[in-house]
Amino acid sequence: MTQQTYSKAINQALYQAMELSSNVLVLGQLVDYQSGVFGTTTGLVDKFGTQRVCDFPVAESLMTSTGIGLAMSGMRPVLVHQRVDFMMYSLDAIVNWLSLMRFKSNGKLSLPVTIRAIVGKGWGQGPQHSKSMHAWFAHLPGLRVAVPATAYDIKGLLLESIFGENPTIIIEHRSLFSMTSEVPDIPYRVRFGEAVVRRKGKDVTIVAIGFMVPQALRAAEKLALEGIDAEVLDLRTISPLDEEAICNSVAKTGKLVVMDPAWKSIGMAAEVIALVSEKMGSNFKTKPARICYPNSHTPASSALEVEYYPNETSIANVIRSVVYA
Amino acid sequence: MNHGELLKMGEYNHLSIEGCSPDIIRCLYRFMLRLRRCQEALIKEYYPADEMRCPVHFCIGQEASPAALSLLLSQSDYLLSHHRCHGYYLAKGGSMNALFAEIYGRATGANGGIAGSQDISVHDLNFFSGAILSGSVAIAVGVALGFQTKALRSVAVTAFGDGATDQGIFWEAINYAVLRRLPLVFVCENNRYSTYAPLSKRQGKENISERVQSFGMNVKTVFGNDVALLYSVFSNAIEEAREGRGPCFIEAFTYRWNAHVGPGEDDYLGYRSVAEREFWKKNCPIALLEKQMVGQNLMDSKIKEKMIVEIDQEIATAFQFAKESPFPHLKEWSQLNYNIDTPQADRLLETIDSSFFDQNQKEAMPGPY
Ligand SMILES: Cc1ncc(C[n+]2csc(CCOP(=O)(O)OP(=O)(O)O)c2C)c(N)n1
Repeated sequence: MTQQTYSKAINQALYQAMELSSNVLVLGQLVDYQSGVFGTTTGLVDKFGTQRVCDFPVAESLMTSTGIGLAMSGMRPVLVHQRVDFMMYSLDAIVNWLSLMRFKSNGKLSLPVTIRAIVGKGWGQGPQHSKSMHAWFAHLPGLRVAVPATAYDIKGLLLESIFGENPTIIIEHRSLFSMTSEVPDIPYRVRFGEAVVRRKGKDVTIVAIGFMVPQALRAAEKLALEGIDAEVLDLRTISPLDEEAICNSVAKTGKLVVMDPAWKSIGMAAEVIALVSEKMGSNFKTKPARICYPNSHTPASSALEVEYYPNETSIANVIRSVVYA
Repeated sequence: MNHGELLKMGEYNHLSIEGCSPDIIRCLYRFMLRLRRCQEALIKEYYPADEMRCPVHFCIGQEASPAALSLLLSQSDYLLSHHRCHGYYLAKGGSMNALFAEIYGRATGANGGIAGSQDISVHDLNFFSGAILSGSVAIAVGVALGFQTKALRSVAVTAFGDGATDQGIFWEAINYAVLRRLPLVFVCENNRYSTYAPLSKRQGKENISERVQSFGMNVKTVFGNDVALLYSVFSNAIEEAREGRGPCFIEAFTYRWNAHVGPGEDDYLGYRSVAEREFWKKNCPIALLEKQMVGQNLMDSKIKEKMIVEIDQEIATAFQFAKESPFPHLKEWSQLNYNIDTPQADRLLETIDSSFFDQNQKEAMPGPY
């Protein structure tokens, strides 16, 4: 184990995957430059060459279709998008081809395509460089969606996805790229559909997704000083969703806050609350709450960014209101 | 070449079977006749039986292109087709039984009844199709890139209509195939119409091939009902691609006789002229070849009769097979959509658990980018 940053963990996962199998390819804009998509692909081209580390034209739609074709011919491609927003050009390939190939082939053909897409935040990223869209993807049958929060998880989930058999979208929040955790040096797996309890507690369940995980943990730490003992559950993957882990925790605490780094309406936070309501009915001791972004596109101005993203105070206030309602 | 000019030609009399062996000519002929009769039989049975409950795009009049490909692709080559796919499916060795059963929505269908006519995709045959226009053209790029990366001698062929060239992704695919010199052959069956809309109503200039050529692509335009010519042009293109000499785009001018979709006619809508329909029926791909074959004593009424009996037998068997086959029954939605096995991950990856994470770290602050 070594203490490693999120971006270095991605780089290591890609390097090791390409070493393990010559079927693994990396495609994306500028993946073969030294800057390497925020350091995540740096150095790969020196070892594996331009046929396998493939700088792609600014044609995201074709890139995704190319990934599908590669997988159909037996390869295991990893596609890289500098922003989720850029990937929107490839929705047809994802929705009409990638997600349903296994289905339409009557279960005969699975497509191990891994799509990495990065979410921007801060420095005025604005409305076309900051979207997450993970709930859209999780809505589709046939796709797996991961939103890893730690360096350990991103490496394990990336490897699991590359060497698994289903198409996968991995949403990586740019703000996490400098954060470190213990990362095993060898190639290892983190399984889909297994949430992890990051902090045990008995007063309230905080279900957190991706970039919200460190914020949830910080809030829990702060609230502990006031005598609130919060449990923080990191979903890690939202498709499949670890329903059991969510329900077990709520069964214990009876109170639920969901923190999702995305718009509030029709999103994952609503899905989690609906799931618990459906499975556990009136087990809620108080009304559940969602901590999300407003139903608005992202402003560029830093003055408005501050209003847009939940902060320590607003997060703690919502959790308190659920605990003391 | 464009559709307007072709009509002025009257009768096509350039078809020559000189370059092909009699065996090949007979196979081309038989394939086209089989495809034609199979389509006609499906059309005839569609409403009376009322059991083919999916959109079906028949390809009567467009038999030449699949016929030529049927003799040129090996199992390891991939064929990716658009929605009008029955001919291409048969060209890749698909069975008529499984085709009919698929259209009938039966468990024994090519895709277990799940895909229907316009999405038939059979991995064992390396045959794929799909209804979303230009989708499979773009996917073929990836298949060819895979072959190239692995230094295989396989070729990807993608077949589609002029409608696909309205899409932006089509041009992305052309560009990338040229850029990477991919082992990929594009077959565009230009039948002039996207549903009812003629090319002239959809594109500023009726010169698809010219524009494709300007990307640096090797291009051929051919009269698409001359199956011998198609055979030779496809054969060259596939050979070049196989030898690593890059992709080729072939525009084959042809015509759909039947309605865009379904078993009926849609000419009551008045989108195609009588003169145009007559021109193309006069230049039927099967009749053009047959005339040459008769001239060279490769065909007579006895041989044809025998062929028809065999083909009709196969068709009758396929109907019976489809109608007697069971409907699929649901096992589990989840398994149909997800593969729960992870053989490679099991073999290559370790399991180590660690969930500790120190949350008190600064967020990465992006710079100007
Ligand atoms: C993306 C998309 N848009 C619209 C359609 C509806 N549609 C189905 S077939 C067709 C016409 C296709 O024409 P062409 O590509 O020339 O093939 P043809 O049907 O003439 O064989 C259209 C517009 C579709 N299948 N996909």
